[in-house]
Amino acid sequence: MKMPHSDARPPRWAEAMLRLLLKPDDRETVSGDLLEEYRETIVPARGRGANYWYFRQVAWYLLRASWQWGALMGAALVFRYLLDTLVPPSDYRMRAAVLSWTILVVCMLASFRVAWRTRSIRAGVLASTAAATIAAVVSIVGAAILLAIWHEPATLEEWRRSGGIDEALVDVPLKLIGFGITLGILGGALGKGVTSRVTLGGERVRR
Amino acid sequence: MAEVLGTFEQAVLLEVLRLRDEAYGRAILKAVQERLERELAAGAVHATLERLESKGLLSSRLGPGTDIRAGRARRFYRVQPAGVRSLNDARRTFNNIWRGIKWPVTARESL
Repeated sequence: MKMPHSDARPPRWAEAMLRLLLKPDDRETVSGDLLEEYRETIVPARGRGANYWYFRQVAWYLLRASWQWGALMGAALVFRYLLDTLVPPSDYRMRAAVLSWTILVVCMLASFRVAWRTRSIRAGVLASTAAATIAAVVSIVGAAILLAIWHEPATLEEWRRSGGIDEALVDVPLKLIGFGITLGILGGALGKGVTSRVTLGGERVRR
Repeated sequence: MAEVLGTFEQAVLLEVLRLRDEAYGRAILKAVQERLERELAAGAVHATLERLESKGLLSSRLGPGTDIRAGRARRFYRVQPAGVRSLNDARRTFNNIWRGIKWPVTARESL
């Protein structure tokens, strides 16, 4: 039997993710607006394609919460690759330590900020993981571009000395996503902890 | 001095004015899409409404939901005096920029 449009529902996981990414004050109103648009306009016009529209709306919220952090981490990684290519040091430990701390701080900030806004640790983990995934993609593309430009034997030898091409194209991106999840839990717990204590005149601050 | 508004912010504020008592998220989204003749991410409109409210150009109140939205509440918006001032400033600036230029601009005028 065909479902009437007024009963059509977007996938549960997409609705759950949307609600997770919204501030508590906006969960009902914004998810209600999207459901109304989905049922009244999108399903009648696009049928099965309506779910794709809904995914894109949710993805917008996820990207909004994570793209700046992901771009920042990706830029830090590509800058490090560029520096190692053009100005190879005798010892890579200092640069590795600076980069690791940068990624640690940015992942935690991404998660903290979202958890603070949404009062949800899971939302913080989601944002941090998305940011790390964006950084992983930027890192792979950046490393590939650098290797396409500078690929003479001496440069490839420097890459091998600093960890190898495999590390840049596979290990680092995978580790980044792992960091994103782990640090996301930590930053999220901090963000939620802080927001539960912040009050203004006895009322929670509306962010 | 009133808040300087971007084009998208002006479009959202003007639709809130036009919709009067019916200015809630989804109605504003549809109206702005029709006005700008392009599909927009709902989040872009919601984020703009939130920003305008935080600047004091809009106020909001919660209203009842309907069956089509599974009973979820609606947030209704109203333009505040600061919002009206900002819109008037934006229009004045626009008029000043275009003063003395015939519209549509033709290639002859760029010579």
